[in-house]
Amino acid sequence: MSGLSIVMEGPGNYINWGVIQISVANLAIIAVMVLLFILALVVPFPSHDEDSDEEGHSR
Amino acid sequence: MTTSEGELSTRQTADPKNWTNRLRGWLEGLVPKGEALPDRQPVYVASWIYVFGVLTLTSLVVVIASGFVLSLGGVSWWHVSSLGHYVNSVHLWSTELFFGFMVVHLWGKFWMAAWRGKRALTWITGILLFGISIGTSFTGFLSQSNFDSQWIGAEGKDGINSIGVGAFFNVLNPGQMLLWHVVLLPLGVGLITLWHIILVRRHGVVPPLDADLEG
Amino acid sequence: MSRDRTPDAHDFPTRRYDLVREFVIALVVVLVLSGGLAAIFSSPDTKAITMSGWAKADPENLVTTAASELAGTTTSATYGAPYNNNAEGQKLGPLLLQKWGGVRIPVNSADLVLGPLSNVSDNPAISSALATWKAATTEQRTKWATDYVDAIGTAEADGEPATGAGGDPAKVKPGDYGPVPALSAGLLALAKTGGLEGALTSSGNFYGGDQTKSLLLLSDGAYLEDLAVAQKLGGDQWGMMNEVGNAPGQPWMWLYTFWYQVKPFSTSDNADAEVWGLMMVLTLLLMFLPFIPGLRSIPRWIPIHRLVWRNYYRRTRHA
Repeated sequence: MSGLSIVMEGPGNYINWGVIQISVANLAIIAVMVLLFILALVVPFPSHDEDSDEEGHSR
Repeated sequence: MTTSEGELSTRQTADPKNWTNRLRGWLEGLVPKGEALPDRQPVYVASWIYVFGVLTLTSLVVVIASGFVLSLGGVSWWHVSSLGHYVNSVHLWSTELFFGFMVVHLWGKFWMAAWRGKRALTWITGILLFGISIGTSFTGFLSQSNFDSQWIGAEGKDGINSIGVGAFFNVLNPGQMLLWHVVLLPLGVGLITLWHIILVRRHGVVPPLDADLEG
Repeated sequence: MSRDRTPDAHDFPTRRYDLVREFVIALVVVLVLSGGLAAIFSSPDTKAITMSGWAKADPENLVTTAASELAGTTTSATYGAPYNNNAEGQKLGPLLLQKWGGVRIPVNSADLVLGPLSNVSDNPAISSALATWKAATTEQRTKWATDYVDAIGTAEADGEPATGAGGDPAKVKPGDYGPVPALSAGLLALAKTGGLEGALTSSGNFYGGDQTKSLLLLSDGAYLEDLAVAQKLGGDQWGMMNEVGNAPGQPWMWLYTFWYQVKPFSTSDNADAEVWGLMMVLTLLLMFLPFIPGLRSIPRWIPIHRLVWRNYYRRTRHA
């Protein structure tokens, strides 16, 4: 097809754990999402401008 | 029904019985003045978790744009053209990004209890969007005109038939499913997204739990 | 949390912010990500299977399926609404949801075989077989077809011994099967030539677009399902989440498909309706979470929010 497609004709790679059976691709997506969530919470957010003393209504 | 600075233009009156006036008033009241596209935000909006809403929205933009391009070529284009196949791949991956960012956005909003302060409807429209998006992606998979479509239709019909809806929403009918996918469901997603965003701009970003106001 | 004392967001001090720039940056990020992922990983496009493909890959199964359609024992023949009245269908507790949908897409499973064969011309064997079938009573037809299906039997599988001719129509013992062998073989021959591809359109005219009958016939056979199961797309393989090969699927369907993997759903005749009902309840719980005491307090009990707003809490504590 096109590009460096890694999608193959045979069944993909799966991980089995008890009743759970999940493809490596799906597991990778979920892992990245969890990682992003954690990073979003812990990575410091730049607050370089401290001109935040405008009291009252934000207009 | 005034606009800015309390002045009416020469084409406006204050007649409350006028339907146009009432519509204009309603539209203007949806979002507080200056809050639709503000250039300042509350100081507590300072975390990377806040970017997932706009990432979801921009993913949706790319999904729709790539969908437009696919529509130009038609249903079978991506099977016969390498450009078409690439556009299909963009459509697939932007959809995966859309769902990924949306779910992280959902996680963030849950742990922030973002429904507080009269924001229950923002939460509700968000969950509604999640559900309709799933339906939209389902009809998308059914519109691929390949083995996936055959299998997903064959399996999906059992779920939908089991609740008595299969005759009205026939997943074995690609002609119907395609039109749901490119017309009806995106319209639903678009309108509810607009509603969701208006609500966010209307109420502002939810303050922190147990927030104290300074001064 | 009996009264919501959340202050107004507009009453807080503010800082500079560029909404449109944030949107544009996010758009560029998503474009780069989707464009890049698309270029590297592409998207799967496994060709649709055809009736002739089925005929060539598993001719015995096609013949058996044809005979079973005539016998009225296939999945579609015993489905119930919306295709026929031959089963009550699934229910959700006392609610006969499937049946209440009504038979609004009537499909006679025998016609999945007889329909395409009726359009075959210049074939005396088929014409004569069709005439014999039409002239027979319902009981006679069912007996012929059922006896033939039993005579074909099944191959040995899962420790169960083979039955009948072990699934091979060529080895069937002589018996009174009427026109069924000729009709089934006729459908196979038609499929091999490609003549079955458009013959089952449900659209009613030249312009296809409604593949209901074709897909029902494919679903009644084993070929479609065998290919899907080989790709781990089957219902009891978390298939709803998966894609062919190594492509990412629909990971967001994890909870919907999870229930099918466990009891009582995995062994229930009403699994589809029950899973749908359960997911509807869970979705409503999620949707109306703001109004559910206890659930809506979880963010207070597990204070992940203290990470989100740590700068603000630190500043206001020292204010």
